[in-house]
Amino acid sequence: MTRVFVTGVRLQLLQLMRSGFDISAMLVWPIIFASIAFYLLDAKESPRLLFAASLGTAVMMMWAQVVVGAGGALDNQRVFGTLELLVGAPVPLVTLIAPIMIASGAFGVYGLVVTIVWGRLLFGIPITIVHPLAFAVSIPACIVAIGLLGLITAATFVLYRSAFALGVAMQYPVFIATGLLVPLSVLPAWVGPVSWLLAPTWGFRAIKAAALGGSPWPAIGMCAVVSVAYLAIALVCLAFFERLARSRASLRLA
Amino acid sequence: MNDLRVFFACGVTSFRALFGWINPYVFVPILVVYPIFQILFFVYLGRTAHVGSDTFFLIGNTFCGAAVAAMFGMGQSIGGERRFQTLPTLLASPANRLALYAGRAVPTVLTGFLVAVISFASGAAILGVHVSGTEAVALTLALLASCFTCAGLGLCIGSLGLRGRSVGLFADAISGGLLIISGANVPLGRLPGAVQTFASLMPLTHGIKAARAVASGAGLGSIGGLLGKELLIGCVYLAAGLALVVLFEHEGRRTGALDRF
Repeated sequence: MTRVFVTGVRLQLLQLMRSGFDISAMLVWPIIFASIAFYLLDAKESPRLLFAASLGTAVMMMWAQVVVGAGGALDNQRVFGTLELLVGAPVPLVTLIAPIMIASGAFGVYGLVVTIVWGRLLFGIPITIVHPLAFAVSIPACIVAIGLLGLITAATFVLYRSAFALGVAMQYPVFIATGLLVPLSVLPAWVGPVSWLLAPTWGFRAIKAAALGGSPWPAIGMCAVVSVAYLAIALVCLAFFERLARSRASLRLA
Repeated sequence: MNDLRVFFACGVTSFRALFGWINPYVFVPILVVYPIFQILFFVYLGRTAHVGSDTFFLIGNTFCGAAVAAMFGMGQSIGGERRFQTLPTLLASPANRLALYAGRAVPTVLTGFLVAVISFASGAAILGVHVSGTEAVALTLALLASCFTCAGLGLCIGSLGLRGRSVGLFADAISGGLLIISGANVPLGRLPGAVQTFASLMPLTHGIKAARAVASGAGLGSIGGLLGKELLIGCVYLAAGLALVVLFEHEGRRTGALDRF
């Protein structure tokens, strides 16, 4: 199973790095979101605020890549006729789909680099990491947590033949609800508890506290907690939706 | 008469194919849910930054939603032919090219308009923005002008589908760029001078400006100039798109690259 997982991550990363669409999206969208945030928040006002906006944009890109990229990856499997083979393979489906999610989240590191470099070069935002070790830990913790949240959505993607469209629709609601660029304080009060259930909230808090100061370890711990919870939920969902897709014979429908 | 038949038959068939034969599972997530949440995201971002009113972002992102529908729709209506390997068959036909592509442009303009109406109405209802009947008429005109311009740019993007396979890549990058360059989410005055100059040549910029003027109380007569500029830009893009289509079709035939994927 480990070999299947590692091979899956490697293959997905190779595909992403050869996809003009994914690479251009990962280069263009972080710049767009970061620039809008920088121009709106006013670059001269608070470099710390702008650096936080860079990090928020990077986490947005991780989520976008997981939910859109992974939806697209599963759509492609349908189009290429390999989804049936994946589901029919004698290994748990989670070891085949989780690598797609984790690799997509890891691909979002491109977005982190792009936003930080863009902010530094164009807006002169200083890059200072207060807790380098915690920063180095927080990034993979965030990637895994977001990837595993993506795994739950992927369970529906196995059944739903327009996974890419559903993935596209799920971007902004999570951008809003997790307080990445918009503070939760300006949102309705009920959004707060919703945000606690979503990995980008904790991933962003961990990365932000590690970079700008604060205590990142509780948020890193929450990343681990939600990751375990997501995995448990995803296993149940995957088993259910896989059985449904098999019984409906819908895996081949593209 | 035959051109008219090509115009309608190709336009309707292409439009149905665009959404998996009018599949609501594609239409609703991408063209209803996505634009509404995009509006809300930028409205809240604007409130955080204390820049612009809710109406400012509502109008800007409504127009961007229409642009996405028009540009992706037009782009994919040509790019999709390559994906489904029907491009050589299509281009082997002696059909009038203007009728062929104009037939595809009209449904995308109407889709963009419909998307904008749905997202504006939903956004306005959620945010409590009120629009009077006169303002609605002026906003409709500004929106139609912008949809036309975006379809023109979409034809330019779609023409790339005659030479390459990743039309979506260009449509995605340009629609993303319009979020900022057109002034949809950042007041144009905050952008660098060179970007402002570039923005004046892009779709949406004048349409959004006209719509915001209407929302601020300007009459229909006072936005005529802005709408004229938007339509003029649309005509230029449309002409450029048709020229590119002819050029790339010729190149595709010469190099035998029409069915390469």
